[in-house]
Amino acid sequence: MPAPSLMGLGFEHRVVVGLAELVVSNNPSAVLTTYSLGSCLGIAIYDPVAKVGGLLHAMLPDSKIDPGKAVRQPGMFLDTGLPALLREASDLRADKRRLKIYVAGGAQIMDDKNVFNIGGRNQTALAEFLRRENLQASAIQVGGHVNRTMYFSIQTGRVTLKVSGLQNEIILC
Amino acid sequence: MLTLDGFIDSIDYLPPMPSNVTSLVKLLNQPDLDVDQIVQLIQYDPALTAQVIRLCNSAYFGGAPADNLHEATVRVGYYEILQLVIALSTATMMRPQQKGYGIEVGELWKHSVTAALVGKLLANDRGGDESLVFTACMLHDIGKVALSRSLECKYDEVVAETKRSQSPMLVVEQKLLGFDHAEVGGRLLERWNFPVELVQGVRFHHNPGAAPEHGVIAAYAYMGNMLACFMGFGCGHQALAFQGRAEALELIGTTPEELPNYMAKAFFTLKDTEALLSFPFGK
Repeated sequence: MPAPSLMGLGFEHRVVVGLAELVVSNNPSAVLTTYSLGSCLGIAIYDPVAKVGGLLHAMLPDSKIDPGKAVRQPGMFLDTGLPALLREASDLRADKRRLKIYVAGGAQIMDDKNVFNIGGRNQTALAEFLRRENLQASAIQVGGHVNRTMYFSIQTGRVTLKVSGLQNEIILC
Repeated sequence: MLTLDGFIDSIDYLPPMPSNVTSLVKLLNQPDLDVDQIVQLIQYDPALTAQVIRLCNSAYFGGAPADNLHEATVRVGYYEILQLVIALSTATMMRPQQKGYGIEVGELWKHSVTAALVGKLLANDRGGDESLVFTACMLHDIGKVALSRSLECKYDEVVAETKRSQSPMLVVEQKLLGFDHAEVGGRLLERWNFPVELVQGVRFHHNPGAAPEHGVIAAYAYMGNMLACFMGFGCGHQALAFQGRAEALELIGTTPEELPNYMAKAFFTLKDTEALLSFPFGK
């Protein structure tokens, strides 16, 4: 009989996904966590059968502004970060057809003229990518003027948000 | 309701601006800086001296290692050292939690450092005064340190009011207190005899077009603040609830299309310096 592992006992450990980073995991004890999204987008993908999940914290829509930076840090841009996220999840045997997708972030300032709308452009870039890939988001919490922190449990597939300044967590799934 | 000056006179909890910062800021406008002037202002603080030498010897600055302050200052550059010391010295003021704004420990300082890096990068490409811009960005939210406690007892009101009225935080501050953090910050710097560029840069960082003379510095502070918030280093309740000011683009001569580039650049600068900057405060 194998020795009981800590993982089996349900201990959770926090794996921080930094700004412009992505992490994919099939470790059931991992809680992927990304702090303070601002106008960035946090995108969690989950295959509930393979119990594989990934989280991306992308800052900008398009790597064309500096392809060199995208090579060094693919998670910085949605157009390089999203394909990398799907690829790495698929390497851990996630099936694209089973993916659940959860999105948060994309906050904006009060900008009537829509001049500084990076949060909105991030949302548009994501929507276009999902359409091209024939994927659909299961739950979305974007926009507004708040910072959001995202927690994603690989064991349960549960995604929760902490909104800066508010006490209670929001359950995305 | 108190007047702005009445309020500032009434606060007894504002940590004092470190005296070396006040002295260093006066050097910013001086054209012929002398290395000894800078060294004198730092050397009596052994912890600060050690931090400065350590940062100067980091990979970020490169070059041959310096083993004393004089050497480090000459190698890295007078103005770089000024900026570094201003950033390090303001940490004591900015690091504590600011409950009235829902700002956690360390967040305000990190926000300010990010804003200062963004401002410096923008100014560098446009022939702006990098050190003044860096300092204005570093200090733009200093008024929040003074206002936080007053807002703390009204925090539920602040949250309810921003939600109900969908107003910028600045307007909510005005409504609940009679003045806002930009006004308080500007007045504090004025009282500390800071250069007028910094006073106006801070006072008008949410409305650079309204600055009487130094709208350009205020516009850099506006951009630094905004891009730091976009990157998630904006902190507290309704961190992005402020007005878009397209005129800030014209004031510094940039376009919205250029801004993502500065976020990307600031990211790598932060990444290169983060471990070093957080070193003295990580305890």
